[in-house]
Amino acid sequence: MTPFMELTDVSRCYGSGDTTVWALRSVSLRIIPGDFVSIVGPSGSGKSTLLGLLGCLDVPTSGTILVEGEDVTAVADATRTRVRGRSIGFVFQQFHLIPHLDALGNVGTALLYRGLRPAEVKEKSMAALARVGLAHRHDHRSVQLSGGEQQRVAIARALVTEPRILLADEPTGALDSNNAAMVMDILSGLRDESRAVVVVTHDLDIANSAARKISMRDGQVVNDEVLVP
Amino acid sequence: MNEFRDLARVALTGLAARKARTLLLLLGPMIGVAAIIAAVGLTDSAKGDLKAKVADLGTNLVEASAASSFGGEDPTLPEDAVKRTLTVRTVEKVAAVRQLANVVVTPYTEALEQFDTVPIPVVAADSTLPDVLEVELVSGRWIDRFDEETGARSAVIGQSLAREFSYLPGENRTIELGGLAYTVVGVLSRVELEPGFDTAVFIPFRTAGDDFLNEDGIIAPNKLYARTAEGAERETADALVVAVNLGGPDEVSTEIKSEALELAAESDRQLQLIVVSMGLLAIIVGGLGIANVMSISVIQRSAEIGIRRALGHTRRIIAMQFLLEAIVVGIIGGIMGVLLGVLAILVGVWLAGWVFVLAAWLVPAGVLLAITISVVAGLFPATRAARLEPLETLRLG
Repeated sequence: MTPFMELTDVSRCYGSGDTTVWALRSVSLRIIPGDFVSIVGPSGSGKSTLLGLLGCLDVPTSGTILVEGEDVTAVADATRTRVRGRSIGFVFQQFHLIPHLDALGNVGTALLYRGLRPAEVKEKSMAALARVGLAHRHDHRSVQLSGGEQQRVAIARALVTEPRILLADEPTGALDSNNAAMVMDILSGLRDESRAVVVVTHDLDIANSAARKISMRDGQVVNDEVLVP
Repeated sequence: MNEFRDLARVALTGLAARKARTLLLLLGPMIGVAAIIAAVGLTDSAKGDLKAKVADLGTNLVEASAASSFGGEDPTLPEDAVKRTLTVRTVEKVAAVRQLANVVVTPYTEALEQFDTVPIPVVAADSTLPDVLEVELVSGRWIDRFDEETGARSAVIGQSLAREFSYLPGENRTIELGGLAYTVVGVLSRVELEPGFDTAVFIPFRTAGDDFLNEDGIIAPNKLYARTAEGAERETADALVVAVNLGGPDEVSTEIKSEALELAAESDRQLQLIVVSMGLLAIIVGGLGIANVMSISVIQRSAEIGIRRALGHTRRIIAMQFLLEAIVVGIIGGIMGVLLGVLAILVGVWLAGWVFVLAAWLVPAGVLLAITISVVAGLFPATRAARLEPLETLRLG
């Protein structure tokens, strides 16, 4: 079975010479279909750097990264962008909805430039909103939505392209406990054999609710344990 | 195609969502184009009536007149001047006239005392004259071949003279030329290039010879009017001097009739240049405004750009999106500028009583200028937007 993502001996450093900071040192890991992984660690542990690399938003200083078997380590930005659009969906702590668009427009943004007709975009976006229980709020803009609703719209936007890997960065960080629980329910409900969910967090409760927990410290993976087989 | 449709949708919703900012962007190209259109249009319209006249009369009428070289009182051209003129290849048609001196004109015999103070020119004219001058008759007919061959006492009078003599169109009436009764057969309308014809009486050459000149056979003309091929008026005027003279003792002077009028119709180029320069300055400042406002917008929208990049939109798409916003601003600003400029001309024309003149090419040129400025202004912010790293704008972790 091809892993959705495979990192081999990946390092990432910032700066050069005496001021070189190694944010990530020799990390190797695989994300396989059906994974529900949490990446946990204190700030400065390298989890944000790892997230950037997993999301194909960054390139490693050394090592290789394969996404669905395709090497994205030394490719042009346009190629990496295409892989990102095809294989990865993002959910951010600050939701990052586009303020002048309604919920439907925000979800539809992920489907632009894929050769789809506007009617298809609308249909798929409505379906994605329905999956997070917000079909009835499709014409609301972000200021008219609660934090929990905004994050659910963001999840719908990440899902609508049918990505292999859903990357969530502190998805509950800006939410109260009720909404946080709801978002985590949705995320854990999304794992199936065609998808993997990766949640980056510093919250141990959230981390422990995943099926697999990767703990990081000082730019290295210190523990990779399966919580729920 | 699909890509362009998506781009256009994003650009248009982006502009529509920020109405105040979009309006600010539109102002620059709009005011610039409006200023240029209004400047050219108003300076042209100020001379609009004269321009229309030049266009109406044509610029290809050449006049050749006899000039006295030996102090003769009544200089004439050679008898076969018309034939000679037609040897010039650029001449399309020609008509001759002979102004007659000292013929007293009165509406009728009894009125001699009342009208004797008014000098009325009497002109012997060819049957082709109205055709060459491109002028119509108000009523009746012109001197025809029959009049010419029989020496009939037929006369055509100018429009002003008809009014002065209270001549009614179609009225069967005679006027007295040197005591001889001539039948009025028609009234000639105003000849813009020859205002004197308005009060003149025209009679056939042969009749003039019989009644007023002691010349036998062919009467020598003293003036020719020639229509030339378009654009050949200058060389024709020069050629006529040679062709008509043929080395003889007569002197010919030529004149292009429309030249003075054309000079008068010339727009004030310096004023136009100044105002157009100010318009260009306005549009360049407008362009800088676009670059500035869009650059700020790129910073404000960096999170949006980051998320779009994360969703798989390439750098090229991001750049195109901003550039397309600039193009739309250029198109709308340009069209609004043209409309505003035309409105300004119309108001000016209405206030000053001019004739509306606007070169048609200025309309697409104005819009194109606005688009060009907007695109150039949009290039910098668009490139900047495309260079933004999603990792930096999204603040992960």
